[in-house]
Amino acid sequence: MSECKVTFYPEGKSVTVEKGEDLLHAAVAARVYINSSCGGDGVCGRCRVIIKKGEVVSDPTGRLSDGEREKGYCLACRTTVKTDVDVEVPPESRLEEEQILTEEAKVSRLAGLYSRAEEIEVISEGKESLFTHSPLATKVYLELPPPTLQDNISDLERLYREIRRGGDIPIMQTGLANVKRLGHLLRESNWRVTVTLGKRNGTVEIVFVEPGDTSGKNYGVAIDVGTTTVVAQLVNLNTRQVLSTKATHNIQASYGEDVISRIIYASEKDGLERLHHAVIDCINGLISSLVQEHNLSLNDIIAVMCAGNMTMTHLLLRVDPSYLRREPYVPTANFVPVIRASEAGIKTNPRGLLSCLPGVSSYVGGDITAGTLASGLSDSEDISLLIDVGTNGEIVLGNKDWLVCCSSSAGPAFEGCGVKCGMRAVKGAIQRVEINSRYEVKYHAIGEGKPRGICGSGFIDSLSELLKAGIIDRSGRMKKGLETPRLREGEEGLEFILAWEQEAEGDHDIVVSETDIANLIRSKGAVYAGVSVLIRSMGLRFEDLKHIYIAGGFGNYLNIEKAVLIGLLPDIPRDRIHFIGNSSLTGARQAMLSYEALNKVKEIAHKMTYFELSVDPIFMDEYTAALFLPHTDMKLFPSVGEKLGL
Amino acid sequence: MPLELVKEEWMGKISEVTIGATKEEGGSRTSVVTVGGETGLSFLPSESEMPHRPVVAMEVWDVVPEDWPEEVVKPFKEVMDDPARWSKKCVDEYGADLICLRLQSAHSDFGNVPVDKVSEGVKKVLEAVGVPLIILGPGQDDRDNEVLPRCSEVAKGEKCLFGDATQDNYKTLVAACMADGHNIIGQSPIDINIAKQVNILIADMGFPLERIVIDPTTGGLGYGLEYTYSIMERARLAALGAGDKTLALPIICRVGQEAWRASQGKRERFSRLGHSFGTGTSVGSNYSCFPSCSRGRYPHHASSPGRGKCEADDR
Repeated sequence: MSECKVTFYPEGKSVTVEKGEDLLHAAVAARVYINSSCGGDGVCGRCRVIIKKGEVVSDPTGRLSDGEREKGYCLACRTTVKTDVDVEVPPESRLEEEQILTEEAKVSRLAGLYSRAEEIEVISEGKESLFTHSPLATKVYLELPPPTLQDNISDLERLYREIRRGGDIPIMQTGLANVKRLGHLLRESNWRVTVTLGKRNGTVEIVFVEPGDTSGKNYGVAIDVGTTTVVAQLVNLNTRQVLSTKATHNIQASYGEDVISRIIYASEKDGLERLHHAVIDCINGLISSLVQEHNLSLNDIIAVMCAGNMTMTHLLLRVDPSYLRREPYVPTANFVPVIRASEAGIKTNPRGLLSCLPGVSSYVGGDITAGTLASGLSDSEDISLLIDVGTNGEIVLGNKDWLVCCSSSAGPAFEGCGVKCGMRAVKGAIQRVEINSRYEVKYHAIGEGKPRGICGSGFIDSLSELLKAGIIDRSGRMKKGLETPRLREGEEGLEFILAWEQEAEGDHDIVVSETDIANLIRSKGAVYAGVSVLIRSMGLRFEDLKHIYIAGGFGNYLNIEKAVLIGLLPDIPRDRIHFIGNSSLTGARQAMLSYEALNKVKEIAHKMTYFELSVDPIFMDEYTAALFLPHTDMKLFPSVGEKLGL
Repeated sequence: MPLELVKEEWMGKISEVTIGATKEEGGSRTSVVTVGGETGLSFLPSESEMPHRPVVAMEVWDVVPEDWPEEVVKPFKEVMDDPARWSKKCVDEYGADLICLRLQSAHSDFGNVPVDKVSEGVKKVLEAVGVPLIILGPGQDDRDNEVLPRCSEVAKGEKCLFGDATQDNYKTLVAACMADGHNIIGQSPIDINIAKQVNILIADMGFPLERIVIDPTTGGLGYGLEYTYSIMERARLAALGAGDKTLALPIICRVGQEAWRASQGKRERFSRLGHSFGTGTSVGSNYSCFPSCSRGRYPHHASSPGRGKCEADDR
């Protein structure tokens, strides 16, 4: 393959490219920046260049006049080189070089991914800044030059021109609603307006235009739509600052605890409608309380990014989920286009955008792709594992080259549901427990106050401490006849009292019952069995894992040692196990703040292979083996065996 | 060149369990039975040892069973109202290695007989026969927990085999057997993991592993035998190959009850041909070659008159 040297003038920058390369790509390679609104599709006609010397092949285009053609004009994106060529880039086709900040910007520019207009403020690079700051939607304050007889382009084009002054935005769209108001609005506001730009499916849209400078009021909400819990986080899109996070129970739970029962409910009369409204009500409740807390108005929320499992995403968008549970288990859409939040019933700025992160399969959704992004698992050479301990225990295994995942229905016990004194990891939830050999209990509740219940991490602690103190046997049954008033016969069999009524908030003792323990063991067993099957099916061993990332609604505390002791996590060196909190929410936030991250999530979703546990003959076996503390096979838990003296 | 046979080398060994105690050993049995001790898979004398042959227990109820198939009832009709005589007949006439006494009378649907009376019955059977005893509760957790500890006490020193300890109900029985020196059956529902778990739970209470016998539950031919057999085989392979001590225990199977549960056992067509007896037999004999210890709820095996004929007909 022969190579051709392309020189761009007036700078005189040269680059060597393969014969047949187009001039637009050659220009990028030479760090010469040419306008291109359409991203190289040959439709915008903005990448006109003049061939001074050499031979090229140009596709026919209607964007050039005959006169121009005679002068040697052609479209850079539609022109390929045959020999060495000299190219002049006329000023109108030129992007000012300082408009481009970074190398990344240059690379992604052609794909229409990135534009400097959205780079409102560069903040100091913290961990959050792994990705280029380019939010899903953002505001730009513009002072437009009023039209004159000389500069008489239309209002809309004037607006575009001004927006593009801030950066290269290949394709721009505006809805009719905006166009209708534009003429008055611009004049009434004395040509000083704030434009909200949104990224919709590869194009940039003028979401809305408002008078004056409101660019400071630029907020988005990242939401983890869980089967049991919905968590929303208010983020300043300018500064990437997280203002606050709120969570609530998913009120869909009243129509069924797990996704399957909700899918079934959705097929009943008005079922889909009810489920849809339930989750939307949750989200609206969270958003409005976040907004109130920070003295904002709903109008200031211009972007919402949701990460949820497939069922949640379907229900959120009011898409019938029934095919998710029918063989061959196909979702209606893995990649949902960016829509207006109001179309889904979410109350934000009426024209605000809603994006749902893409999933992999019916049972691995956007929460997991988001979690994979947040954990950094797909960026590393090392083989790592991500476990999201939620109602569906999703597990991802892989590295930067490959990803496999599975979903193991763990049930909501670790989210504090389906267990007697369970609650979410909020104020008043017991999250640390210690029990000594005299069966005395020390606990710590979130927020230092009186305890109200027990959250997931509190249950992991309890289970491990009850086992260590010999209050339960390895199958999780309580030992009758221990000399402690804390062990008693309750309504559902034996129970152990962690906090007496007088210590607690509320009018009852806080207990862990035998039934709760059975539930928790089933949950941890499902997670461990899923991990075990996935690892084995890839021909790996636990020792091969460089990192295990644990995600889930455990609040900010998870005792890894105790999680291993009960057999939720495999017995590998503890420094390889990292608790990363709500990774779904973190991933959603990252994707909301950076289009680059959002694309990374899409890439993850494309790359990930789904492993169906329900058709795997070993799974049931692994599951029963894991229904024991820590496991039926102690050889898998040598350090625990030592600790328990087994 | 002579063909050299491949020999499997196993690292594990099945533990030996002795059921019954003679006068010198603190009991009153005239014979004892030892099972287990295999160092390889069964019936491969060139490759491993199988020091004890499979043994057959015959099942005796302490209440007259009402729904047993006619063919099974026939030989015992006159003695079924007296467990002591029934047991004696099994030993004297049919050569049972052990008697498996099921305390069905304690079952709430079978008379709910008080504990004292039930344990009295156990005593009588112990006096009537010299072979070791397997003693099973009625299979209702609460009744088991009332009746079995008392019977364990009554049979103290006799080194009986008591059952069943299950995942959901094992503590009372384990404590009783520990106190009175009996052996115990750990029962699991056709699941190798649960089999192991039950044994661990029992052992965690301080009960010696070497006194546990596994009942992995079984099924008749055409009723899941292949699967149940595969569970037993896996347990054995784990015990012998991976040296898993918690599975290196003798196995007991309730062959009879499963065989006679088959609808063929009750169908007149088969009955008339005189084959129903054989149904139990052929399954039973298949089975007992794997376990070190087996027993039937109904009479079967070598003693059964239909056996030879059945095998001939099966071909």
